[in-house]
Amino acid sequence: MAEEPVFNRIAVLRADRGVSRRDLAAALGVHYQTVGYLERGEYSPSLHLALRIAEFFEVPVEVVFSLKPFPKLGSTS
Amino acid sequence: MNWGERWHAHAARSMEHPMFVPLYRTRARRRLLVAVGATGLLVIWADAIVSWYIAPSDTAVTVNFVLLTIALVCYLPSVTALNAATRGLASLPERRLDERQIAERLRAYTVANTLMRLILTVVTALVLAAMWGDGPAARVPGAAIALGLIAVWLTHYVLPLLVAGWRLPDPPPDDDPGDEQ
Repeated sequence: MAEEPVFNRIAVLRADRGVSRRDLAAALGVHYQTVGYLERGEYSPSLHLALRIAEFFEVPVEVVFSLKPFPKLGSTS
Repeated sequence: MNWGERWHAHAARSMEHPMFVPLYRTRARRRLLVAVGATGLLVIWADAIVSWYIAPSDTAVTVNFVLLTIALVCYLPSVTALNAATRGLASLPERRLDERQIAERLRAYTVANTLMRLILTVVTALVLAAMWGDGPAARVPGAAIALGLIAVWLTHYVLPLLVAGWRLPDPPPDDDPGDEQ
């Protein structure tokens, strides 16, 4: 079965908070490359990791992850 | 921290060393490393076959020495670089990997298991065919058996790493000063 894409805003949130990949990775207990693969959408995290990422940014999980693409900044939808 | 933990910590740190990065920076280079490592394995298999036909003899000793040297020259650098490229995906204990790495390791092991099954099927069929009848090939020298077992063991041992190295996508571009590949 082909894997369904899961879209995320980790890169946006990370840039907004001024957190480096290595710092986020250290906080989550994953390799820093894993953060890069997550941001690129090449790896979909487990539910546990997704919840921990949302917890790290102190936002609800649906703010970080979605099954549909997030609207681009400045778009009206 | 016990000696095992210290060794794994040292191995994990070594795999982050930038010295290896030029060797595996691109997918083409990683696949070339896989090809070189696979060549090393093939040379050991070839050595076992050659030994079957010419051992025991002085020529067999010389041929063994030359072929095993070629195999090691191919095998050791490629396996070292691939271990660094995959960050120990196939060699570190699971507790030192994160969930993405564990998932990728499982995929590599699955593919390697299928490949190993195919290899063993082909080798078994070829050995049985070669031993058919009462010719000179029906008598297998000890050196050929030993080299054959080494070839099987090494192939089984390193195949997951070769698969992981072949599959490895390019890492995300660096956006932080310290985010080198």
